[in-house]
Amino acid sequence: MLEQLIKALAELEEDQVLEIVRQELVGGTEALAILQACQQGMTEVGDRFEKKEYFVSDLMMSGEIFKQVGVILEPGLQSATQVCAGAVVIGTVQGDIHDIGKDIVVNMLKSANLDVTDLGVDVPPVQFVDALKQTKASVLGMSGLLTLAFDSMKETVGLIEEAGLRDKVRIMIGGGPVDGGVCRVVGADDWGADAQAAVRLAKTWLDIGVQA
Amino acid sequence: MSEAMNEMQTLYEERRLRIEKTIALEPVDRIPTAYMGMAFAPRYMGMPIADFCEVPENRTEVTLAAMDKLGADVWDGINALPCGRIVPSLTSAWLSHIAAPGRELPEDSLWQVQESDVMKPEDYDVILDKGWPEFLEGYYPRVIDVDELKESNIWVSKNLQSVKDKCREHGYVPISFGGTSIPFEYLCGGRSMSRFYIDLYRIKDKIKEVMDHMMPYMIREGIHTAEVSGIPAVWVGGWRSASSLIAPKIWDEMVFPYFIELTHALADKGIVSVLHFDQDWNRDLERFKELPAKMCLLNTDGMTDLRKVKEILGDHMAVIGDVPSALLYSGTPDDIFKYVHDLIRDVGPTGLILCPGCDAPINAKPENMEAMAAASREYSQVV
Repeated sequence: MLEQLIKALAELEEDQVLEIVRQELVGGTEALAILQACQQGMTEVGDRFEKKEYFVSDLMMSGEIFKQVGVILEPGLQSATQVCAGAVVIGTVQGDIHDIGKDIVVNMLKSANLDVTDLGVDVPPVQFVDALKQTKASVLGMSGLLTLAFDSMKETVGLIEEAGLRDKVRIMIGGGPVDGGVCRVVGADDWGADAQAAVRLAKTWLDIGVQA
Repeated sequence: MSEAMNEMQTLYEERRLRIEKTIALEPVDRIPTAYMGMAFAPRYMGMPIADFCEVPENRTEVTLAAMDKLGADVWDGINALPCGRIVPSLTSAWLSHIAAPGRELPEDSLWQVQESDVMKPEDYDVILDKGWPEFLEGYYPRVIDVDELKESNIWVSKNLQSVKDKCREHGYVPISFGGTSIPFEYLCGGRSMSRFYIDLYRIKDKIKEVMDHMMPYMIREGIHTAEVSGIPAVWVGGWRSASSLIAPKIWDEMVFPYFIELTHALADKGIVSVLHFDQDWNRDLERFKELPAKMCLLNTDGMTDLRKVKEILGDHMAVIGDVPSALLYSGTPDDIFKYVHDLIRDVGPTGLILCPGCDAPINAKPENMEAMAAASREYSQVV
């Protein structure tokens, strides 16, 4: 049945996914096992996106389904202990209030079993630094749709350096106009053209295995 | 008329004809160059963005002044007539609240769309029951002060001709005025991208019914705008309906048929569609052959591969673009020179209008915009 769940999520069959999740819970399957099956389904979605079989709208739909599954499983997950594969801090930088791309990345990172601290939008540099100190995360993602965001990204990287954290954190940036040139100017370690690239970077940096 | 004015009139007509020939894919003596940089102009000229947004005259004056300063000899035209206040016009296009400088945002910051699902799922039924114009009447107060919107529209009606005249006095041809789009874009703006995309999976048939109802109004808007302005080209927006964003099964049914219908309806009236298509449309370029030949101007932002466009659509539609925003921000003048050189070499000499991709950003380096103008001088001449 969990195989069916993985397939249904990969096929974005919302009703079917939710029905199987409920049936599995009634049947006594542990919430954690159901969640892990859904995470596998999300990995398949990501793979299809990389192969250009799926597009951004598909990622959004998968994220929506995954979110609903999370709500259903939440009571059962409270007693379970799932060890996250690593911690990531993410946010849209100061001066930019766009959250669509960032939210897709957050969903994909969460479904990859990463502990994600989402700081929201219009995040001042100091808030990124504080969050990195508090969470001890070794990966930071900064998002921005406007070219104005690049100045904020640069400022944030500067403040991370001043705080003495630069060699402890790998920094990735993303958002509509971001490219290699911007990455260089901002001082980030790498950039991603889409959500799956962000997942791939985070997994590589956290050394948790990336399928070729 | 003075001699200087006569000369300017002659120059204007030369430029107008050059742009017209480019759109018709005919040979030209020089690849035309067009300005596009809404927020760059006030920053370049030292005007706070709030002043640029609030006073409609400022938009016209400052844009033309920025073009003059960058190089009056360079610009054949401007992508869109700089007429009217930006925030109300963006609100109408996005059906979202626009956070404005000097209001919700600091004086000298850029306006931004506030993405939220202002339009609710039940609004689909309201559109079907009451009609699109009636729905809009009730909807606008959710995103803008309606009096402000009306005043802005009245200002445009009263001043359209004088703004056109000012452009003519400076010798710059407005390539388009006003805009329309497919129902997808309006609904996506109102519902928010994330909610609307999910609606497309859950209630596709209902949305299709709504889109079919809306479509005649979108066509009428485009035709009306062109008739009022006398400029035979309108922006046709494509932002969230891009190929890279939408699954083909949705795009084939909910996006492209509407672009076909809209552009053909405009072409039937002699109106060129300036396809302001942000994002990456590479996947579906073959399908663009279904749009009316030589009646579209593809306006991309650097993400769609213009070499591929040239290869597939070279005898079908012209392009305008596409020096990327990111390069104008992060590159050097040498980078800009190389980009322009390669673009003209690969995509010219026919069917190309050189222009910043999408819109030169507020924080484009002035030296990079100046380099774009200089590169146009250097490379745009057709030998």
